[in-house]
Amino acid sequence: MCSDFRRAESGTELLARLEGRSSLKEIEPYLFADEDSSVHGDILEFHGPEGTGKTEMLYHLTARCILPKSEGGLEVEVLFIDTDYHFDMLRLVTILEHRLSQSSEEMVKCCLGRLLLVNCSSNTQLLLTLYSLETVVCSHPSLCLLILDSLSAFYWIDRVNGGESVNLQEYTLKKCAQFLEKLVNEYRLVLFATTQSIMQKTTNWTEGPSSALNHPSEADADYRPYLCKAWQQVVRHRIFFSKQEDFKTSNQFSLVSRHLKSNSLKKHIFIIGESGIEFC
Amino acid sequence: MGVLRAGLCPGLTQDMVGQLRSRGIKTVVDLVSADLEDVAQKCGLSYKALVALRRVLLAQFSAFPCNGADLYEELKTSTAILSTGIGSLDKLLDAGLYTGEVTEIVGGPGSGKTQVCLCVAANVAYDLQQNVVYIDSSGGLTASRILQLLQARTPEEEEQAGALQRIQVVRAFDIFQMLDVLQDFRGAMSQQ
Repeated sequence: MCSDFRRAESGTELLARLEGRSSLKEIEPYLFADEDSSVHGDILEFHGPEGTGKTEMLYHLTARCILPKSEGGLEVEVLFIDTDYHFDMLRLVTILEHRLSQSSEEMVKCCLGRLLLVNCSSNTQLLLTLYSLETVVCSHPSLCLLILDSLSAFYWIDRVNGGESVNLQEYTLKKCAQFLEKLVNEYRLVLFATTQSIMQKTTNWTEGPSSALNHPSEADADYRPYLCKAWQQVVRHRIFFSKQEDFKTSNQFSLVSRHLKSNSLKKHIFIIGESGIEFC
Repeated sequence: MGVLRAGLCPGLTQDMVGQLRSRGIKTVVDLVSADLEDVAQKCGLSYKALVALRRVLLAQFSAFPCNGADLYEELKTSTAILSTGIGSLDKLLDAGLYTGEVTEIVGGPGSGKTQVCLCVAANVAYDLQQNVVYIDSSGGLTASRILQLLQARTPEEEEQAGALQRIQVVRAFDIFQMLDVLQDFRGAMSQQ
């Protein structure tokens, strides 16, 4: 259905599509563990317990994208899929107002015009929405970023509905993951998806507590994958968010970015201020 | 949403449902994610009809994206900030309780959660002259305490009575009663 749409595209539209979608390299260098990796078709997973800055990071990235080039943004469109129903428009507006050199209502509305917001109430509705979003992506050549907050929202509901069969439980999410990969690859988008840490931390009884502090990747040593295999295979970078435990740095958050193929790891520390995320 | 059945959307007849089911296509998701050319061949249905059906199902069951600017406009005109009546709490909440948002008050027993709720209810009913629905699932609400809070605000008995009348109390002691209450409330609101 959509391939017909693309064939009817003019030369200038084609250039706009390819050019517009290649400028996302500047989106946030701190998030990419592997500097050489290309950004298109990238799927990044933000993982962490609640209150660790995942959604704040999404607002930061959204602001980076929708701000005009004159204000240091990328001037591209963003599609934000919210399954948690907690998108805070007033927070995003505050971040934009702080980052604009001359914040006026007109400027803010112009930036917000580049944001599309969708709410989904179940994984089935998410899947059907993704199918119908294909036409939206086709008709918006400057749409480069897809955000999904969060992918694990309906995990327990799916578990209950699927009964005893694991295949049935994971069926819808598997289809979502496969379709997301297809969308991201075909239209050269970047996808940021958040998942909650809902499984208990594994405790390593043999090593003892001191070794955890020496281990450089202590944030992700406890990671227990619980979403379907189809999603695990599709993710290219996994970024772990955590809050600093130390009393002196209690307002700091840290993220550990792991590139799954090359296994390279990078850690960064940030704080969350009125104007959004600031890396230290 | 889920199982395909006749009349689920315009264009879906009992015949079509039967033919699709015989080839293993039972739910909306099955149909929308299937290869329609393949289905058309196997089920003997017209490809055009299936494409049209897919489009109608997607339009009916998927969520609609809205533009950020429109959403912001709507928010600006429809959001109100309700003062809690407690100065320091208002400061913490950035001026008060925002409409369209859920504010959660968490604490151990005896930490003052019910008192905050009663104070907010009295403030909204008397100072702001608005209606309050108070859903009580813990049995912690006593009308005499609200009366006390109102008496501190005004000596006029008529005004106190007026404010009390604006507070509607509903008791719900299990989750099903709670859901019923919320559904009834939603129905009442949509009729206004």
